Amino acid sequence: MSALLEVDDLRVEFDTYGGTVQAVRGVSFELDRGQTLAIVGESGCGKSVTVQSIMGLIPMPPGRITSGSARLDGKDVIDDKRIDGKDIRGRLVGMIFQDPMSSLNPTMTIGEQIAETLQVHRGYSHKRALARAIELIDMTRIPEAAKRARQYPFEFSGGMLQRSMIAMSLACEPSILIADEPTTALDVTIQAQILDLMRELQRDNGMAIILITHDLGVVARMADEVLVMYAGEVVERGSVDDVFYRSAHPYTLGLRAAMPSNRDDAAQELTPIDGSPPDLFAPPAGCGYFARCPHAMRACETEHPRAFELGEQHRARCWLHHEDCDVAADEVFRK
Amino acid sequence: MVAYTVKRLLQGVITVWFIATATFFGMHAVPGDPLAADKEVPPEIWANLQARYGLDKPVPEQYVIYLSNMLKGDFGISYTQQNREVNDIIAEHFKVSATLGILAIVFAAFGGILWGALTALYRNRAPDIVIVFLVILGISVPSFVFAALGQLGVVNINNALGFTLFPVAGWGTVQHMIVPSMVLGLGTMAFLTRLMRSSMLEIANSDFIRTARSKGLPATRVFRKHQLRNAILPVVTVLGPSIAAITTGGFVVEMVFAIPGLGRYFVQAVQQLDYTVIMGTTVFYGAFLVFMVILVDLVYGLIDPRVRLE
Amino acid sequence: MAELSFEPVRVEREVETISRPSLSYWQDAWIRLKANRRALISLYIVIGLLLFTVFGPFVWTVDPAAQDLDQISAPPGADRSATVVDDYAVWRGVTVDVPAGGSPPAAELLAPGAVSVHGPAETRAVRLAWDPVSGAAAYRVYRNILDPEPDGALGLPIADVLDPAQVSFEDRLDLKPLTYYYSVVAMDALGNESRAYRTVGVEVTRVITAAEAVAKGLVEDGDTLQPGDTLNLAAHPLGTDYLGRDLLARLMHGARVSLFIGIVAPFAFVILGIVYGSAAGFVGGRFDQLLMRFADFVVALPFLLFMILLRILFGVGAGESGIYPMMVAMVLLSWPGAARLVRGQILQIREEGYIGASRLLGAKTNYLVLRHMIPNTMGVILVTLTFAVPSAIFTEAFLSFIGMGVAPPTPSWGSMCNEGLKTMLTTPHELIAPAAFISITVLAFNLLGDGLRDALDARMRSAE
Repeated sequence: MSALLEVDDLRVEFDTYGGTVQAVRGVSFELDRGQTLAIVGESGCGKSVTVQSIMGLIPMPPGRITSGSARLDGKDVIDDKRIDGKDIRGRLVGMIFQDPMSSLNPTMTIGEQIAETLQVHRGYSHKRALARAIELIDMTRIPEAAKRARQYPFEFSGGMLQRSMIAMSLACEPSILIADEPTTALDVTIQAQILDLMRELQRDNGMAIILITHDLGVVARMADEVLVMYAGEVVERGSVDDVFYRSAHPYTLGLRAAMPSNRDDAAQELTPIDGSPPDLFAPPAGCGYFARCPHAMRACETEHPRAFELGEQHRARCWLHHEDCDVAADEVFRK
Repeated sequence: MVAYTVKRLLQGVITVWFIATATFFGMHAVPGDPLAADKEVPPEIWANLQARYGLDKPVPEQYVIYLSNMLKGDFGISYTQQNREVNDIIAEHFKVSATLGILAIVFAAFGGILWGALTALYRNRAPDIVIVFLVILGISVPSFVFAALGQLGVVNINNALGFTLFPVAGWGTVQHMIVPSMVLGLGTMAFLTRLMRSSMLEIANSDFIRTARSKGLPATRVFRKHQLRNAILPVVTVLGPSIAAITTGGFVVEMVFAIPGLGRYFVQAVQQLDYTVIMGTTVFYGAFLVFMVILVDLVYGLIDPRVRLE
Repeated sequence: MAELSFEPVRVEREVETISRPSLSYWQDAWIRLKANRRALISLYIVIGLLLFTVFGPFVWTVDPAAQDLDQISAPPGADRSATVVDDYAVWRGVTVDVPAGGSPPAAELLAPGAVSVHGPAETRAVRLAWDPVSGAAAYRVYRNILDPEPDGALGLPIADVLDPAQVSFEDRLDLKPLTYYYSVVAMDALGNESRAYRTVGVEVTRVITAAEAVAKGLVEDGDTLQPGDTLNLAAHPLGTDYLGRDLLARLMHGARVSLFIGIVAPFAFVILGIVYGSAAGFVGGRFDQLLMRFADFVVALPFLLFMILLRILFGVGAGESGIYPMMVAMVLLSWPGAARLVRGQILQIREEGYIGASRLLGAKTNYLVLRHMIPNTMGVILVTLTFAVPSAIFTEAFLSFIGMGVAPPTPSWGSMCNEGLKTMLTTPHELIAPAAFISITVLAFNLLGDGLRDALDARMRSAE
C-alpha cells in the first residue's frame, strides 16, 4: 500500500527586499495512515513553510514553489488543491495553528466557524451544520457545548480556543491533521491536555497527524516518525527511537543536548548550540550546519552531504557516515 | 450594553453642558456692546433691549437663565432679526444642512468601503494604483476646490446637454442635492478609502484568514464573510469624527452652491455679531456632533461582539 | 564526485561579531527615510517651499500689493507687449444736426446704418461713431466679449448717449487687448430700446505712452521711445489677479502667512500637548483623570465653530485678518490630540522593562526622562507634528475661504482662493495657483509624515 501523503523534493522560495530566500530546499517524506509524523527544528528552518506550501497557504507572491510534488492518495495537490472537484483543505486535510487567539475570526461565533466547513464541504443546511458543530465541540471536551457554540472567540480561553480549532479541523473527518506548533502559545498544563486530546481523537478516527514543533518532549510523547529539519532541509529522519537513541546527525545531538532531561544527571548543564543558522539568501554549497558543527571536516564546507541510509527508515545527511571518513561515526554519536 | 449606553449618554450630556458653558462665557467675554455694534442707539431703547435680552441682570444669573432655557430647548430671539426665534432659524436651516450632510456621509462611507475593498483585491495592479493616486489627490485638495470644480463640472454638463440637469446653485429638488453632497463627501471618501485599504491589507495577513483558507472555503466566501466583515470595523469607528468633518465642511459647499444651510447662516450671524444665533447654533452643532459620535459608537457596539457583550 | 577530504577543521565562530557599525536611532531613521523615495521627494518639496517662502520675496521683489492696471487677470504666459503711442488727446466726438420733430415709438426705430471706429482701437480708448437713426431720441451702447450673433446677446450696456445729436461714444472703461463687439441701439423719448441693433467687432491693441513707461519703470528715459515701438510690460510669471496684482509675489507673501500658521501653530500646540500630557502621565492618579477628562471636553468642541467664536472673542471684526488670534485659537483647540498621545506613550514607556532595568542600575528620574522617555517619544511626536501641519494649513485656508480667517488685502493661500473663486469661470488661474500650492504642500507633508512614521517607528508602520 502506498503512503497516504508523499512529498518529494519540495522547494519553496520567497522574494524579499534583501533578495530571494530559499526557505525550503528539497524536502521529501512520506506519511502513512494513522501515523504521527513530527517535524522538529529551530525557528526559521522551514517547518511551517513546508506544510503551508502543501496546504496552499503561503502568500504567492512573494512565495513561490519552484519544484516538487505532494501526492495525497496518489494525486498531486501542489498546483490544484482539489481532488474529485472539491477542495482537499478542511475535507481531507485539517489544520490547526500556533496561536488560537488570533486564528479564529473575532466577529463570528465558534459554532458558525465550525459549521461553515460542513456547509461548504458536505452541503449541510445551516441548522444541521450547527447541530453537528455542537457535537464536535462536545467531542473536544468543552463543557456546555450548545452554549459555547453561540459564543465568540474572545469569550474563550486559549486552551478552549485550541480545542475549538481541533473541532473545526476535524469537522469533515479528514485523513490528515496538520498541527503547526499547536501548544506553543499555551500554558504547560493546557499543552498536555491538548496533546492527549489529539491522541485520543487519532485513536478514534484513525487520522494521520503531522506535528510541527521545536519541543523534543512533545515529539517523544506523540510521534512515530521524526523529521529533523535544518536550514530548509531534512537533515535526519527516522523512527522516534532512531532519532532519539541512535541520533545520526550532529544537529540532532545538539538539539538533544539543549533539551532538559530527567534521565541524566540532574546537575548536568544544558548546552546551547553556538552561532545561528546560515543565511538562506545564499545557502552554503556544503552542509548547512558546517559553521556550527563541532565535527566539521573539509568536505562539509564544499560538498553537500547526501542522505546516508542507516537503517530501514533511518536516514541522515552527514559526511561522517561516508565509508571513507576516518572519524568513527559510532564514536561521535554514541553519547 | 444598556449600562454602556446610559453611561455614554450621560457623558454626552455633560459634554454638551461643557460646550454650552464655554460658549456662554466665551461670548460674554467678547469686547464691545452686542446691542450697539454698529449703530447709535438712544439710551431708553438700549435699556429696553437690555431688558428684552436679559442683559441687565448679573452674569451668573444670566447663565442660570440661559441654561434653564436651553434645557427647555429655547435658544432665545435673534439680535438682528428681532422677531425670529433662534429655534426657528435652526429648525429651518438645519434641515437643509442635515440632508446635505447625511447624503454626503452615505456617499463617502459606501464609496470608501467599495474603493478600499477594490484596492485591496487588486493590490499593486492598475485599479489599485489609480485609486491610491486619486485618494492622495482627494486628501490633499481643499474642499472648496472640489466645490469650485464641481460647480464648473455642472456648468459644463448643462451646456453640453443643452438643458439644466443639475442646477448650479440653490436647494430644493433632488437634482440640487446630488452634486453638492458628492463634493462634500469626496475628502472624507478619500480618507475612508485609505483606511479601508490598510484595514483590508492588515486583515488579509491575519491568522484567521489563513485558518479560513485552510478550511478550504471558496475565495469569495473568505473575502465576504471573513475579510470584509472585519475590515469594515475600523471604518465604522471613524464615522463619528467624519460626520463632524462633513458637517463643518458643509460651510464651504453651502457658500459655493448658495445652499440655505445652517453653516452659511452661522457665518452670516458671525459677520453681523448676532449673539443669540451664534450661541444657539454652536451649542446645537456641538450637541449634534456629540450625540452622533455616541450613536456611531453604539452602532459599532452592535456589529462588534467584543464591544456588545462586554 | 571530487575527492572528498575528511580532515577535521576548526571553524572560526565569526557569527558572534557584529559586522555593521551600530547606528543611533536617528541615523537609522534617516537611512530608512532616504530609502523611501516618496518621502524623500516630499522632504525636498517641503524644503523648497520653505526656501520659496523665506527667500522668494528677496529674489522676486515685486510688491504683492502693487496693481498693474495694464494687465488685469492676465493668465501666465499672456502676451504682454504694448505699443508706444503719443500722449492722449481729447476727442470731441461726432455730432450731427437732428431735425426737430417728435420721436416715434421704439418699435419703429431702425438700427444705425453703420458703426465705425475712429482712429486706432487702443486699450486706453475705443472711439465709436455711427450713422444717425431718424427719429431716435437717444442711443445705448452695448459691449460684449463674445459675438452677439446668433443669440442676440449684446452684453453689458456701457453707455446711454442721451443727446440724439451726439452719434459717437468713447469707451475708456477697463479695456483689455481683446476683440470687443460693440452694439448700438436707438431709443425713443421714453427710454425704450429699439429691437434693431448694429454691431461692430473691434480688435483692441494694448498701448502705453512714453511717460507711463517711465512712470512704471519700464524704461529709463522716455525720449528713446518712438510712437509705434513695441515695449514689454512688467513680467508676471504666474499672471495677475483681478486687481492686476502679481500672483507670484502674492503667493510668496501668502506662503508667509499660510506656512507661518501651518507650521508655528502645530509646533505650539504640540509643545503644549507634550507639557500637558507628560504632566498627566507622570503624576497619574486622580490628577491624570481630571486632566484627561478636560481634554475630552475640549476635543468635543465643534472645532471650526469655536475657531470662529474665538475670533469674535479676540475682537477680530469682519474683514479684519487676525493672524495671531487664529493661531492662538488653533493652539487652544488642538492640543488634546498631542496630549493624549504623549500621555499614552509615557504610561506605556513607564512600564517597559528597560526603564525598570535602568532604575535598578541606579538611574535617577531626570536621567530616565532625558535618556529614555524623551528620545522614545520624540519619534511619535515628530510624526504627529508632521501630520498636524497639513491640517493646520487646511484650517487656515478653509477659514480664510469662508471669510473668517485672513481677509483681503492680506494675501494668504486661503484668501487668494476665496478671491480666485469669483473669477473661476473666466480666469481660472487665479484659483488654480493658490489651490495648487495648498495641495502640493499638504500632499508633501502627508507623504513626509507617512515616511517619517515608517522610518521612526517600526511599530507604527503603515500597511501600504
